[in-house]
Amino acid sequence: MTLAGINLLQILNGLTFAALLFIVASGFTLIFGLLRIVNLAHGALYLFGGYIGYTVSSVTSSFTAGIFASIIAVALLGLLIDQGLVRFVRGFVLREVLLTLGVAYVLDDIALVIWGGDTFSVDVPTLLQGAVHIGGVFYPKYRLFVLGLGIVVFLALWLLLNRTRLGALIRAGVDDPEMAEAVGVNIRRVFLGTSMLGASLAGLGGTIGGAFLTLYPTADWEILVFSLAIVIIGGSGSLVGAAVGALLVGMLDTVGQVLFPQFAYFVIFGPMAAILAFRPMGLFGRAT
Amino acid sequence: MLEVRNLHSFYGDAHVLHGVSLEVNSGEVVALLGRNGMGKTTLIRSIMRLAQPQVREGSLLWNGEELMHLTPHEVASRRIGLVPQGRRLFPSLSVVEHLTMLKPASAKHGWTVSRVLDMFPRLAERKNHRGNQLSGGERQMLAVGRALMIDPELILMDEPSEGLAPVMVQHLETIIADLGRTGLAILLVEQNLYSALAVANRFYVLETGKVVHAATAAEIKENQASLLRFLGVH
Ligand SMILES: Nc1ncnc2c1ncn2[C@@H]1O[C@H](COP(=O)(O)OP(=O)(O)OP(=O)(O)O)[C@@H](O)[C@H]1O
Ligand SMILES: [Mg+2]
Repeated sequence: MTLAGINLLQILNGLTFAALLFIVASGFTLIFGLLRIVNLAHGALYLFGGYIGYTVSSVTSSFTAGIFASIIAVALLGLLIDQGLVRFVRGFVLREVLLTLGVAYVLDDIALVIWGGDTFSVDVPTLLQGAVHIGGVFYPKYRLFVLGLGIVVFLALWLLLNRTRLGALIRAGVDDPEMAEAVGVNIRRVFLGTSMLGASLAGLGGTIGGAFLTLYPTADWEILVFSLAIVIIGGSGSLVGAAVGALLVGMLDTVGQVLFPQFAYFVIFGPMAAILAFRPMGLFGRAT
Repeated sequence: MLEVRNLHSFYGDAHVLHGVSLEVNSGEVVALLGRNGMGKTTLIRSIMRLAQPQVREGSLLWNGEELMHLTPHEVASRRIGLVPQGRRLFPSLSVVEHLTMLKPASAKHGWTVSRVLDMFPRLAERKNHRGNQLSGGERQMLAVGRALMIDPELILMDEPSEGLAPVMVQHLETIIADLGRTGLAILLVEQNLYSALAVANRFYVLETGKVVHAATAAEIKENQASLLRFLGVH
């Protein structure tokens, strides 16, 4: 094998895919780290967000409206799932996993009823259409926008977590929820805010991704598998871990499809297994 | 004031507290003594209303209000602070974040970040260190500082001297005595009898989930032998 197949185009593809994966997986890791829930409905929230973003942006002919609609709607959906269902099995890992898996299937079916089995693509606003010339290649503006957005989301989440009081509460909750509550934190409210934030990131990812990966009935499971890999590689609850994991998975996936198309998944899960063998908590995870 | 009445606490089927009753009046430093595994931490956790242990019987009156149906943060919001056994700092929070994470209480006694840092100058020097980068003594000071930030009327301290060097234990005694003089009530769990004698007004001895002895500081001055006997010192 040579690296001849790898060029700037693939690197950019890998980076932009990583940016999208990061947006989705950061929500997943927040929920995983704080609420200790492997939310298998996270992919379905992504797909729902995408469909909602698609519908709203088509109806209003505004991409921005689609983005905000998907963020808000999916945050509310996350709230509903957390307060209406997950709350009753909190602390029972197996039940949580099965419940969120069930929720994923139900959401899938609801989406199938509403939007059918067709493939949709969210319309990109005129401003972001076309390509720009960088480093000798023409590259779609929209994908560069996704890369920029991924960086913005990373910085915003980093500032939220590390520079605000709410962020300190979330970190304290990740560290030791019992002690956080005992020293006066209303941890239920922090949990709730975090699950809404995590869900809204899935919703945002849906609309953003819906414009270049397209939306179709099984898209949610693909995203879920990638998110799981990212969180396992990066370590649950770690934002930097999610970013590094997303970069690794995004690049490996893109490169893998070029170099070893027949082993596309192995290229991701092979290194993941290797990392886990040496760092069972992930690259940036901490033992609890 | 805190009135614990006939408290029965369980971990699953294990019956750990068998009808504990005690009280802490405002402004008092009360020591709770007892050997390992006698139920001291269980009592503290019961008062804080943590998920474990389960309290199946008894009452916890705090200034006339029943705490039994509150959640831990509601107990904290009633101005009961906790310094847990083993410190339990948050590894990913800096020193100053431990103090600022809560909305500043409408301070009657005026516990602010700067006042806590004045009280513990060593923490002020290590403001941006993380909890797990501190020495044992500094960790304990931070645990006390964190508890002060809810502006408590009562602090529950679970073995604060555990694992500290003698000079640190002495420093801690001074701190506890100083806090007591500000009008703060303290329920102090101790295994170190002499540490407790240095600061407490009253004493309870807990043995296998029961209060087996209660005495005031004056009574103990008269007759230390009885207390020592209850503690099994000889
Ligand atoms: N989570 C738990 N589950 C079951 N039993 C427990 C649990 N925590 C404590 N116990 C038991 O309850 C009893 C009282 O424990 P507790 O921690 O209250 O003792 P303690 O007086 O604080 O001891 P120490 O001085 O060692 O801290 C012990 O027999 C202990 O084994
Ligand atoms: Mg104890």
